[in-house]
This record gives sequence, C-alpha cells and structure tokens, in this order.
Amino acid sequence: MRSSVTVSSSVTEERETARRAAAARLLEAHASGRPCEPVRDLVGDVESAYAVQSLLTERWLAEGRRPVGRKIGLTSRAVQRQLGVDSPDFGVLFADMAVPDGEEIPAGAVLQPRAEAEVALVLERDLTHERHTVADVIRATAFALPAIEVVGSRVRDWDITLADTVADNASAGVYVLGTRPVALGDVDLRLAGMVVERRGEQVSTGVGAACLGHPLHAAVWLADTLARLGSPLRAGDTVLTGALGPVVPVAPGDVLEARIDGLGDVRAAFAPEETEERA
Amino acid sequence: MNRLAEILDEAALTGRAVPRLTDRAALDVPAAYEVQRAVIERRRERGETLIGVKMGFTSRAKMVQMGVDDVIWGLLTDAMLVESHLDTSGLIHPRVEPEIAFLLDRPVRNPADAAAAVGAVAVGYEVLDSRYENFSFTLEDVIADNASACGFGLGPWHSPRDVGNIGLLLEVDGRPVASGSSAAILGDPVRSLTAAARLAHAAGIELQPGWVVLAGAATAAVPLPAGAHVRVSGAGLGHVEVTTR
Repeated sequence: MRSSVTVSSSVTEERETARRAAAARLLEAHASGRPCEPVRDLVGDVESAYAVQSLLTERWLAEGRRPVGRKIGLTSRAVQRQLGVDSPDFGVLFADMAVPDGEEIPAGAVLQPRAEAEVALVLERDLTHERHTVADVIRATAFALPAIEVVGSRVRDWDITLADTVADNASAGVYVLGTRPVALGDVDLRLAGMVVERRGEQVSTGVGAACLGHPLHAAVWLADTLARLGSPLRAGDTVLTGALGPVVPVAPGDVLEARIDGLGDVRAAFAPEETEERA
Repeated sequence: MNRLAEILDEAALTGRAVPRLTDRAALDVPAAYEVQRAVIERRRERGETLIGVKMGFTSRAKMVQMGVDDVIWGLLTDAMLVESHLDTSGLIHPRVEPEIAFLLDRPVRNPADAAAAVGAVAVGYEVLDSRYENFSFTLEDVIADNASACGFGLGPWHSPRDVGNIGLLLEVDGRPVASGSSAAILGDPVRSLTAAARLAHAAGIELQPGWVVLAGAATAAVPLPAGAHVRVSGAGLGHVEVTTR
C-alpha cells in the first residue's frame, strides 16, 4: 500500500515536471520569436495539454495581460480529420492580441502566421450553467462581428498534434474584429457565405455551416466546456467561434479582406518584412 | 468529329463509360468544341431544345488541377431539366454539386451586356456524369463530353440581386455533405456569366431570352446515390430538392 502511494506520487511529480518543461519551452518560443520543438512527448493526453495551457495563462496573467475571451479551434471536419480528433479545442484571448480593423500587424507579432475568417460573438451575460442550450447562447450574445483570426504556432513548422496545439493556447496569435455589430436575429449564420480576398483574388471561401454545423453550436460547446472546468464565459467576453473555410498562409505585406454575408467585412494588414527607409 | 460525337452520345444513352477520346484521336480545344456541338446536334435531332449553358472549371482549385487558366462551357437542353425526381439507373457515375443559376430576360449581344440581361437568379444543382471511365479526362475530353453535363434542377427564381457571397449547403438525406460560398465561383458568379457570354459570342451563339446560365459549382461535386433525397439551399434564395431512384 505504502509503496504504491509513493510510486503514484512520484508519477504525479514527474508529470508535473514534464508539464512545466512543456510550458517553459512554449513560453521561451513566444518570448524569443523562435519556434520550438513539439511538446507532445512532454504533454501526453488532452487533459494534461490543457494543464500546460493553464500554466501559460497563469504566467501571462502575472505579466499583466488582460483576458478578454476565448477562441475555438478545430471546428471543421477537415481539420479534425487531419489531426485525428472529433472535438474542437479552445484557447485564451488577451486584450493585446486585438488589432484594429486594417491596422498593421507588426512583423513577428505572430509566429508562422496563417489567417482564417470567423464569426465573433460578444457576450452580455455570463454562461455558468453546467449545460447550455442554443437559446442560452443567443440570449447571452449582445452582437456578432466579422473577424479574422491570425493563428500562429510556437511549434516549429506547424508540426502539431492535438496535444501540441492545446498546450500552445490553441495556436492563438492575434485577431481583428469588424466594427459594425449585428444582432443574431438579423443574420443567417448557418448559410452566411464567407470569402477572403488578397488583392482582389479569393484565397478562401466557405460558409457558416462549415463551423461545427453552425457557429452557435461551437459556442454552446465552449460554454459547456468552460463551465465544467470552472472558468465560465462571462459578460463582456469575445468568442471567436472557429474558421468558416480553409486557413490562408500569410506573407509579409499581405492585406487580407474577409467578407461574411450579413456581417460585413474586416481587414488584416501585415507589415512588410523590411521597414522601408524614407530619404 | 461525328464518329467521336457518336461514341459519347451512345455512352450517355446506354449508361456505359468509354475510354478517353484523346487516347484514340488527337484533339485540340477547338476540335473538342466541334465534337461537343455534334453531340448536341444529335440530341436536337431527337427533339431536344437548347435552353441554356453551363460553365465548368470555375473554381481556382479545379483550374489548377486541370492545368488551365480559362473556364469551359457546355450546352443545356430541355431534356436535362430535372423536376423533382431523377432515375439514376441509366447513369454511369453521377455526381451532384450546388450552383447559382441566372435566367436571362433579353438576348445578350455582347459580353459587356451580360449582367444587365439577368431577369432572375436562383439556387440550383447540377448533376454531372462524365461519359469517361473513372471520371478521368483531359481538358479536351471533358469539353467534347459537353463538360460532363447530365441534368440540372432549379429552385424558385428571385429578382436579380448580389449573389457574390451566398452560402450554399448540399444535404443528402438531411445530412450536410458539402458547403461553401458562391464566391468560390470565379470570385463572383456574375464573372462566370460574363465569361459565358464571351465564349458564346466567340462561338457565334447568342445567349437567348429565357435561357438559363449555370454559373459553376461552389463546392466539389459529391457522388449522387440512388434512393437519396438531396437538397441544396442558398442563403436568401430558398432551396431545391430532388429524390433519386
């Protein structure tokens, strides 16, 4: 009996050490701007990956970053299949990740950036139930906005499994919100068309239904999951509900414009690689 | 040309796939369109009437896959219009895809005129059934085969409106199987309409009042099984349904 307790506590200690090592590796990549090796070997299962994510969040909160909501990832069937998972994931949004519509995203702000167009929901009520209905989410939503999420991986070459991306704050980078709020009653999010253009050429197209069947379904999943974990969605939170179409690779100098039918448009402008000197 | 057209026409009539024409004959794009005309001529001799055109390769992914930089077109006859039921037993390997359709209410005398000739828009679907084995073909083969045209259906007509970013959803037996935006059609289906007018003009064909233009697919085509119920919905445009047997 006694020896088994000793063994399990040392296993727990080992796991804790590994989680801290994973968090340290990701934090170092974030701080230095140099991608790191995957952390899956240190992390193990999904629960453990969220524990690593929490370590990152704790550190960032200690640094004074203000949390303003959550992002939902892995909401498309294609991406889920690619990673061999059947569930979305989530990460934390901080105020300093929000870039105003069309304003320049500095080079290096996001490691290995990729962009995707999404529906953002802004809440006016807490969502603290154990299980939520679509009606709960609709009642809690103040308005929807079009959004571009610029995801980025701290892990080299995006060599990620589910454990890697969950630990890495769901590969969150920065995000841009549109500026004209739309009430949920005024838009058909399921059939809302989505297009992303670069210099007039479409680089991604999709539709609301591509996000778990409906962006509100993704929000219900998030509300339930966070309530269960003891950190529920709160009034004022922004929720990025997940990509409506394929992710777009980004190059320095790119300006991407996303349009979501019924929600309006929003732009992500990436700084050129070298800042040009003006004589 | 007539011999090649006969091969494709027979394949369609018998529901038996044939090897690619380019495996037996040298075909360039103009010659392939001549074969297409001859195939349509055979249909007209059987009493079918032209009622529109369909556009193909309207997505960037498809153009890249086929190594082309222009769209292709085919012709639609009244016999291809599906009402609410479709018997797939005579077909080879049918696929279905969601479409945006335009109804012209006056003749299109030149490509610049095309958008103004639109009298109504609708959500629709196209049933593709390549007459070639394994749905495998070169650019010239698919042009000769009337761009794989087999059948099409139309939802309710609506007054002309911006259809540049319409969400489209294809469901089979109530389950979503494909979804996308009409923006996948050359960025805006109106561009496909203009391209249709350009290709028709170059071919000496005038797009007629009452003709339908199928602008192209918003998603990849999916297999169309027998005994299925298929519904295609378009944001603000309602839906169109078909039951197969």
